[in-house]
Amino acid sequence: MKRLWQFVSPYQRWLWISLGLLVLTSALGLVQPMLIRFAIDDYLMKGEMAGFGWILGGVAIAVLGELAGRALQAYTLDLAGQNALLDLRLEVFSHLQRLSARFYDRNPIGKLIGRVTTDIESLGEMFASGVVTILGDLLNLIAILSILFWLDWQLTLVALCSVPVLLVTTMWTRVRVRRAYEKMISKRSQLNAYLHEQASGMSLVQGFRRERRTKRKFDEINESLCESQLESVNWESILSALTEMLSSVTMALILWYGGGQALEALSLRASGLPSTTGGVAAGMTLGTLVAFLQYMERFFGPLTELSMKYTVMQNAMTASDRVFRLLDNDDKMPESPTPFQGPKTAGHIRFNNVVFGYDEANPVLKGVTFEVRPGEKVAFVGATGAGKTTILKLLTRLYEVSSGSIEIDGINVKDYGLKDLRSRVGIVQQDVFLFAGNIIDNIHLGHPEIDDAAARAAADELHLDVVVSRFPGGYHEPVRERGKGLSSGERQLISFARVLALKPAVLALDEATSSVDSRMEDLLQQAVGRVMKDRTSLIIAHRLSTIRDVDRILVMHKGELVEQGSHSDLLAKKGFYWKLYRLQYSPAN
Amino acid sequence: MRETLRPLLPLLRRYRRAYILGTVCIILSLWLKLQIPRYFWGALNDLRDLELGQSEFALEDAGGLIRTAAFWILASALLSGPIRTASRILVLGNSRKLSRDLLEVIFARLLKLAPSFYERNPTGQLMSRCINDREYVRGLGGAVYMYMAETFLMYALTVPLMFTIDVQLTLIAIAPYPLFLYLARRIALKIQVTAGAAQASLGDISEKVDESLSGQLIIKTLTLEEFDLGRFRERCAEFKRLNLRTTRLRALLIGTMMGLGGLSTILVLGIGGERVATGAMSLGDFGVMLTYLTMLAVPTRTLGFVISSLRRGTAAFERLREIIDSKVSLKQESDSLGDGIGAAALRVSGLTVIYAPLSEQPHLTGSIPLEHIGGDSDVSRTVLDNVNFEVPAGTTLAIVGHTGSGKTTIARVLARMLEVDPGMVFIDGQDITSLPIDELRSATGYVPQDAFLFGETLHDNVALGSPDAGRSDVFEALTGAQLAVDLDQLPSGMDTMIGERGVNLSGGQRQRTALARVLLLSPKLLILDDTLSAVDTHTSDAILEHLRPFAKDRTTILIAHRLSSICHADNIVVLEEGRVLESGTHAELLASQGWYASTWSWQEQSRVESDVAAQLEAELNADFEASQKPKEDM
Repeated sequence: MKRLWQFVSPYQRWLWISLGLLVLTSALGLVQPMLIRFAIDDYLMKGEMAGFGWILGGVAIAVLGELAGRALQAYTLDLAGQNALLDLRLEVFSHLQRLSARFYDRNPIGKLIGRVTTDIESLGEMFASGVVTILGDLLNLIAILSILFWLDWQLTLVALCSVPVLLVTTMWTRVRVRRAYEKMISKRSQLNAYLHEQASGMSLVQGFRRERRTKRKFDEINESLCESQLESVNWESILSALTEMLSSVTMALILWYGGGQALEALSLRASGLPSTTGGVAAGMTLGTLVAFLQYMERFFGPLTELSMKYTVMQNAMTASDRVFRLLDNDDKMPESPTPFQGPKTAGHIRFNNVVFGYDEANPVLKGVTFEVRPGEKVAFVGATGAGKTTILKLLTRLYEVSSGSIEIDGINVKDYGLKDLRSRVGIVQQDVFLFAGNIIDNIHLGHPEIDDAAARAAADELHLDVVVSRFPGGYHEPVRERGKGLSSGERQLISFARVLALKPAVLALDEATSSVDSRMEDLLQQAVGRVMKDRTSLIIAHRLSTIRDVDRILVMHKGELVEQGSHSDLLAKKGFYWKLYRLQYSPAN
Repeated sequence: MRETLRPLLPLLRRYRRAYILGTVCIILSLWLKLQIPRYFWGALNDLRDLELGQSEFALEDAGGLIRTAAFWILASALLSGPIRTASRILVLGNSRKLSRDLLEVIFARLLKLAPSFYERNPTGQLMSRCINDREYVRGLGGAVYMYMAETFLMYALTVPLMFTIDVQLTLIAIAPYPLFLYLARRIALKIQVTAGAAQASLGDISEKVDESLSGQLIIKTLTLEEFDLGRFRERCAEFKRLNLRTTRLRALLIGTMMGLGGLSTILVLGIGGERVATGAMSLGDFGVMLTYLTMLAVPTRTLGFVISSLRRGTAAFERLREIIDSKVSLKQESDSLGDGIGAAALRVSGLTVIYAPLSEQPHLTGSIPLEHIGGDSDVSRTVLDNVNFEVPAGTTLAIVGHTGSGKTTIARVLARMLEVDPGMVFIDGQDITSLPIDELRSATGYVPQDAFLFGETLHDNVALGSPDAGRSDVFEALTGAQLAVDLDQLPSGMDTMIGERGVNLSGGQRQRTALARVLLLSPKLLILDDTLSAVDTHTSDAILEHLRPFAKDRTTILIAHRLSSICHADNIVVLEEGRVLESGTHAELLASQGWYASTWSWQEQSRVESDVAAQLEAELNADFEASQKPKEDM
């Protein structure tokens, strides 16, 4: 609750206005029965019609004021709510962006999407029928109670007999409703994750004719979600019916007690004694009774709604719990409080006995030490799974080393600001990620320092212009979600151009051209040769032919650096590289 | 609106009995509720008569009279409690079941929709529809139905009762309704439009989150966080704007309905009051009238909520219908009595694929950004242009060509992932569009470039299409894909969880997993679409070596960049810009001195050049390799 306030407080002005309007409208609402009482007792009962119109006019104004106030109140409340939700959504989103790569290894995206959409929506409902409204309801209830006591305190006490019953049952069901909701939300999250995964891999589900099994599993989860929902429906129903029932019981109590008193008064009068107690004959006029009833209606109305709002609140609280738990997740890459701030330099890289594993039990790098001098071009070779890509992930601190250290220009990578570090090292990755937009957008990606011309220059350098000329839209050809519609080679070129446009000090290519056809790759190699000039460059490629021009080759095997040297040195050494090379270039078997 | 909601009826009909029972319960509990003012005011009337000395009762009987009335009120209250509970459980419970069934229907449809549907419609959008829109539709079958029933019944039961008291006064009380209901309808229509837009905007948000989270690693390395947040913010701001607009409209609607309730009360108070004053109406009757009106004020206010929720639900259901009504473009059942697929001989004649302009492709509202529609680039694109080739059963065809020349499109057409017109692709002489999709898929094994892994164990990922396969079969497939050697790197071997929440496999390992899947399936038609692009050459050669006997009695389509890996194919097709540039065997193509020959010599040259040194040394160090063996195992 307190944490939610932190998001609401910038807009509290609207909240207070809303609350003020709520008090005002409540007052206007409460005035109405009093006016009617006045109309009945002082005018109708006496047959006095002069001035009756004024009273009616008063009622009309109160009604109009109430409804205008209500509408305005709902709007101002939502204004605060929607603004706060926007901030919260953005906060959750940028928090997600700060979370480490490890976090994403552990959490399915389907579940996380729910946090930013569905869960925050539930919080929105809480605003609509939540805090302020409930506060308003409470104020209203207190006001009504005061008026009722003022009208007839004894009758009020009798009428309120049922309230303790209501309170006790609410408390009792509360625990159960909450439990049911927690179960429900976790089931829902499970369903979302499954839906997301299956929809993403739908072509496989269909291609391997898994439809029936997938459907069975899906229906199972769907069913168990439904069961948990039905449970909460039961509790909600009981609570709401009970409130309604108690409101009717109160009517009976009022009649029984009020009527009894009236009778007593009548008997007293019949027996000639002066009336001492209340009742219709004495204190309680008919107008009071009508007013009393209307107030009771207004009293129980919010109470019934309160039980409904309660479930909405419950839903929202569970949702906000999850949202804030996510915000509390501190699985971030720790950043140095005093990051190194120096100019982008040549990029001198040093790995000192680096040990790392994605999980403790399976080290991927087992003590790797090497150095890359500024401007040097170094290639990493080795079988799939040897740990080549991991080296790049550690260099940009997507993951933290388990032991050992990594330095760029003599500064530990931990001492750089994360953004600064990553802008120094440009990695062209194996996995390509394109945003929905167009091609040129995907190259400059909102970096203010790259204009369209610079982006095109980077793209032309990679001969992307040749590829792009085939599209009717050229560089403005639309790109859909994750680059659907473009070939893998086209996607790789775009993502290469994107890195190039940023002019990083260290350029790293991770199988960056694996999907580009050979002819294109030849052109690309020349381009790469140009862009690598005067840059520290790291290259991962499984086609050894693409790396012959590098200054040095580091051979990785099962997490260890087993050899290094120039192409000819390594061949002369007749070690791993020599073997790999022979395997690749012996005539195809 | 009625038309839109019609498909919901069959789902609702399943719970007809529960709905009828629930409605009966609602009627009963309302009827009981309405008895209360009668008793109450009846008793008060008697009291007043007594006070005025006009009663036919004796004072002594009056106590009993009041007690009887109180008793009846109590009895109806106690009776209505369980009935009301039952009505809510029935109706609200039904809505949950309805929502469950609706999702089942949608998911069943999603399972049938062609891959091209998923290409056009981002997963995030689909998720948002399944979750957020369905929630509003659920409201229709639950809260909205209940309130609607309660409201209408309340009117249906109260108004006749009011008529029995005073016809004229009742008519006056309901006189303002038509005008206000007309106003409400106008506002409600606007709500439907705005709420629909807001829901679409929520879909955008969901799509964006999906996109960003899937690309986190890349976003982080390229420090795109701010750019990405900016795009997210735009969508959220739009959502906020639409939400506020909906709120304004709803507030207006509820205000209108409250005004209606207030106006009725004032009319009855004014005119009825005058009658009481002149003695034309008894005070009791006047009181009952006022109480009824008070009782009606709540449902009138609820009516505003009902109308707007109905509209919002309709807008949401429209969006769900877009999925449910999406055409299943692939033929599901065979209507011709074909011979089925035998040896899988392929014939492709005049294959032409043209991508329609974005705006003309069927897609869900909002899944293509508006700025892409109707722009300069929104024109059709020919991807394949009159492609012809034949693959006799049991032979291998290789397809090579530049990036973007249409290789993958052919693979996708053959795997029936992309719809084509009839008369272009034939398997065993039968048009693939006439073959049942199920049969076709069981005969085809397609390994795409991007390997998707499910969040299951490696074993289950490989056994995807063959649930009955034994562990040894799976292991054999892994061996064939050269993945068995990697097993000891995985914490629990074949039972290691992979995919979204499991161990991170490298790109090459993912591709090999996808290959193993298909090997296990043992299909008649095998399509490998640059499947080994992320696998190192050594492993890739070993895989191809292993595949050769496997491919012997199967029809195989091989797509690759490295010509040396496909030069053994029985036939090779070179594609350029969607057209067949040349075709023939390796030897024929070399002889024809075209694209293939020049690419081959270029690739060969780079191979041979650098190979010279190695070749020489290889002879000198024939036994050196053996001495290196132990080192390799460390």
